[in-house]
Amino acid sequence: MKFIHKIAHLLVPRESNNQKARLLHNSSLTLITFAFILYQLIISFVPRFAPRILGFAANISPDEVVRLTNEKRTQAGLSALNLNSTLSQAAQAKGADMLNKGYWAHVAPDGTQPWVFFTDLGYKYRYAGENLARDFSSASSAVEAWMNSASHKENLLSSKYKEVGIGVIEGNLAGVDTTIIVQFFGTKYVDSVPAAPIAEAKEIVATPVPPVGEKAGVLISPFNVTRSVSLGIVGLLLFVLIVDGVLVSKRRIARIAGRTFAHIAFLGMILAIALILRAGRII
Amino acid sequence: MRSIAKHLPHYFVLFGLLFAGILAFVLFSYDRAFQMIVAIAVAIAYVIWGLVHHSIHRDLYFSVVLEYLAVAALGLVMVFSLILRT
Repeated sequence: MKFIHKIAHLLVPRESNNQKARLLHNSSLTLITFAFILYQLIISFVPRFAPRILGFAANISPDEVVRLTNEKRTQAGLSALNLNSTLSQAAQAKGADMLNKGYWAHVAPDGTQPWVFFTDLGYKYRYAGENLARDFSSASSAVEAWMNSASHKENLLSSKYKEVGIGVIEGNLAGVDTTIIVQFFGTKYVDSVPAAPIAEAKEIVATPVPPVGEKAGVLISPFNVTRSVSLGIVGLLLFVLIVDGVLVSKRRIARIAGRTFAHIAFLGMILAIALILRAGRII
Repeated sequence: MRSIAKHLPHYFVLFGLLFAGILAFVLFSYDRAFQMIVAIAVAIAYVIWGLVHHSIHRDLYFSVVLEYLAVAALGLVMVFSLILRT
């Protein structure tokens, strides 16, 4: 009985909580905010002490990335790209370079261009392109994310490219375990009419697409745990606010407080944003 | 419920603000910095809406101001945490 009273005190407007669910009091909301900040700090520091607990790792097959890329090209009426082992080695080297130097960009902090990895491995290009993705749990979600970005799509569906190389590398980037996909496109200098080499980098950030399936090897993703906790808190507050609104209206309780309906609308927006945001980044 | 009907024009403004916020999140999903600016702008707009609304209805008290600030801060902290972890 005592437990039920405590729960009611927390969730339902009654005399004991001054006709306002305790959870909706300013002190409770402030406490939840600080607890959430503390929780985020813990998530940020956990990888330093237990690197294999929080992070993101997924079993993404380079062959699957190539297959899906060619599927998109075929659908667009283009010829399929040939998988080139030199390009794949170059892509793998680029991924390793990002992990070693701790950067997430087309150009390394020391100014190293992506094309250096092509030429270092002896791939003389006429055309070259690069797409990058990280934190996706499947090849299909990464390819879909590239397709949703005009510039990455342009790379993926370019008739100028004849070959592709995929590097998938797992490691620790800026303190978080992640999986990076490097997609190198190329056309050998000898493949086409001799002309001045043209390198085309795409540095566009685009809309990520929800990761689907392929859960093998996935660690606890910081984004997913943050989202789950956020949805839980917002869901609970919305429930309490709706109960509060209904009871206050029914009982005709007069009190000094903010508009329940306005809080519901605002938290509804937070809920929508939490559902819209997706993990996985491409550049 | 009667209160909602009575304040309908005010709620239309609020819904407009919140809907614009969601729309900006969808349209600018590739720009995290802009999303953060949008989140701050919507949170501030929400608090201002509360202040104006209660001021017009002559029931603006310090605890009410704190309530809007607390709800806005909680929402902002959550959205920031999510954006920074995408």
